[in-house]
Amino acid sequence: MVKKELLKNEQVERILSPHPLSFMKLQTLCIFVIVWGIVVWWLTEFSEYAGMFSGNAWYPLILWGLVLLLVGVIASLVAIQWTIFFLYLGVFLSAIGLIFWQHWQNDIPLFIFIYSIAVSIVGFLIVELYRRSHKYVITNLRIIFKGGIFTKRERTIRYDKIADIDAKQGVLGQIFGFGTIIPVSQSGFGLGSDKTMAAGGVAVGGTKARLFGFAGGGKEVQTPIARSYYELHGVYPYKDVKQLVEDLVQSHVPTQYQQEQVEFQKQQVDIQTQMRDLLHKQVSDKPRKKMVRQPVEEEEEPEEEEAVERVPRKKMVPPEEGFQSEQVDIQQQMKDLLKKQKTARVNPPEEEEVEEEEAEEETEENEKGKEGS
Amino acid sequence: MADFPLNIDVVVIAALAPILGVTVFWFLQLIFIEIQKRLLSRLRHHHEAFCRFTNYIGIFFQTICQALGYTVTRSGISSFQVTVNYGKVEPKKEKEGVFEWIVRSFLLFGPFFIPAGLVLLVSYGVIGRGFSFPSLVHYTFVESLTGFWASLSTYGTEFVRFLINIDLLNPLHVGFVFVLLFFGLGIRPSYIGQERKEKIDILHDLIHIKDHLLEKPLYLLVIVLLLYLFYILSLFLNPAVYIGLFVIFGWMSLTAIIAILLTYPLLLLIWATDAIQPQWKIVPFITIPVSYIGSRVFFIYYPTNELERVSLLVMFLSTILVTIALIKYKRTNRFKTATKMKHVRVADGKKGTSKK
Repeated sequence: MVKKELLKNEQVERILSPHPLSFMKLQTLCIFVIVWGIVVWWLTEFSEYAGMFSGNAWYPLILWGLVLLLVGVIASLVAIQWTIFFLYLGVFLSAIGLIFWQHWQNDIPLFIFIYSIAVSIVGFLIVELYRRSHKYVITNLRIIFKGGIFTKRERTIRYDKIADIDAKQGVLGQIFGFGTIIPVSQSGFGLGSDKTMAAGGVAVGGTKARLFGFAGGGKEVQTPIARSYYELHGVYPYKDVKQLVEDLVQSHVPTQYQQEQVEFQKQQVDIQTQMRDLLHKQVSDKPRKKMVRQPVEEEEEPEEEEAVERVPRKKMVPPEEGFQSEQVDIQQQMKDLLKKQKTARVNPPEEEEVEEEEAEEETEENEKGKEGS
Repeated sequence: MADFPLNIDVVVIAALAPILGVTVFWFLQLIFIEIQKRLLSRLRHHHEAFCRFTNYIGIFFQTICQALGYTVTRSGISSFQVTVNYGKVEPKKEKEGVFEWIVRSFLLFGPFFIPAGLVLLVSYGVIGRGFSFPSLVHYTFVESLTGFWASLSTYGTEFVRFLINIDLLNPLHVGFVFVLLFFGLGIRPSYIGQERKEKIDILHDLIHIKDHLLEKPLYLLVIVLLLYLFYILSLFLNPAVYIGLFVIFGWMSLTAIIAILLTYPLLLLIWATDAIQPQWKIVPFITIPVSYIGSRVFFIYYPTNELERVSLLVMFLSTILVTIALIKYKRTNRFKTATKMKHVRVADGKKGTSKK
């Protein structure tokens, strides 16, 4: 990864690629083509059943194509991905096209054998190219996913935005030590759905009266699913990578205690801001022997509220009386604040030390301010 | 109804003959399994993934056997999990007593026979003639044992004949070899761990089985009595039925032994290639198909009646020769790091250790 792509204070923890066997589903499609091509060649040329195919030169191609398409349909239904069927259909149609174009009608079994091997090799190369286009960069701040042969796709997810981690390891993954990790974002990126459909037809009746019924049903299941370039697909070593990602997510997600601390500190800051304002006003108004404004809870007219946003509503009171009551209020607030600070210090977490120190500094400043007043 | 003489040999001792035969073959199977385990243990360090794969097959069958036990006892299966490290089956209903004992029996004995039984079914397609049951004239211990042995030897001979004449250009035959290798690597009940442990020892399995059988002697006695009853019934009805039952178990053991034996050359080849330089390691494995296909092509122009057999021999010999040659001339340098460090020290002009 180019250093320019990194953010400020970002460090690369690990750069990963999918394991060579992690795209076995795609490789299996190629393996089936090659195996079936060899079987058809042997069956129609060398086996004891070769005589069955001698009647018509097209029989081997028909057998090869039908089984190929049937397997394509089954695989598509199982994988819920019709691309497989259309891929096999393309292979079959290309074979027919080539036979007509080059006039290989008399050598169809041999053509099937060679064509199957050639198609499989091309398939393997494409899968390998696709695999190599993937790159996953795990940094201390985020995970960057990259992939795609022609269209380059990229996804970045920050650890604090990861809501859930889905991890899976198949049989091959368990044997070779690779697995897939899907970080599901808070917005639901990384979640998909599997749909299954069932349908059936019934024909009842004799030669004249026919009744045809059709029944269908569907089911949708939410499941963590993502494209290979949007997940850590087939990464090796799986356990180490999973641990690393989980540690990084953990270090970026605030715990309940931390959240409470942050909330408490926000309250403290609010109170201290108010106190500062009051102290400042108190110090500046002390020499005067005039009527001073005292905060009260009574409602006033809207014009006054707009004029003074953050300062509480005030009422004209005699100077000495107002000064004393202000002092009492401030001291009361200070006591409350100190109480809260003490309760927060009972079990201070190590991570929060810095923040606490800051809070303490602020308190000290307030205390100094109090002494000054 | 069969006519048989009433003497101790016919009424009691003859019943033990097939049991003895099965036990002998099962012990042989155990010994071959033990050798395989030790070979795999040696490979573990360099071929972690391969050992995990074999573990997976073994654990898979073991778990299947346990699940079968729960199914037979009508306990039901609530969860079924197989990984490379362990298998886990949980019943719907926890049954105790005889049911628990049966499940445990399936777990202990199943891995020895159930995978072998599956191979036996597959092998029926390629060596159908070898499956012949004994036909006895007299029910004596010797006759029973002879009948048992005759059935097994016929099957074994046919199996070996098939393997010697196997046509590796026939996809069905190649598929069968793969099935044999696959099951051969999994016909063992123990997990091969990262370090050598007692639990992979043959004694470990035997002690477990002994403890299991002696734990409930009453159940064992009931099984023996049932078998004896079956024997007595077979004396009256069909004399070959009783031995036939044990012959099936004998076939299973024999199939397992052949499958395990077939894995030895593969394991030895993997072990031998560890001594070869990494870039040359693949050559012995490539030699296998290349030499066989080359030999078959050669015999197209110079035909012979022993085409498959000679080609197989050529394949084995050329693979062995290539492997030996590579071990001799392309041996991996195990002290590469030490040599380099020595060079570094000489270049630095320091006699002590290299810089840390």
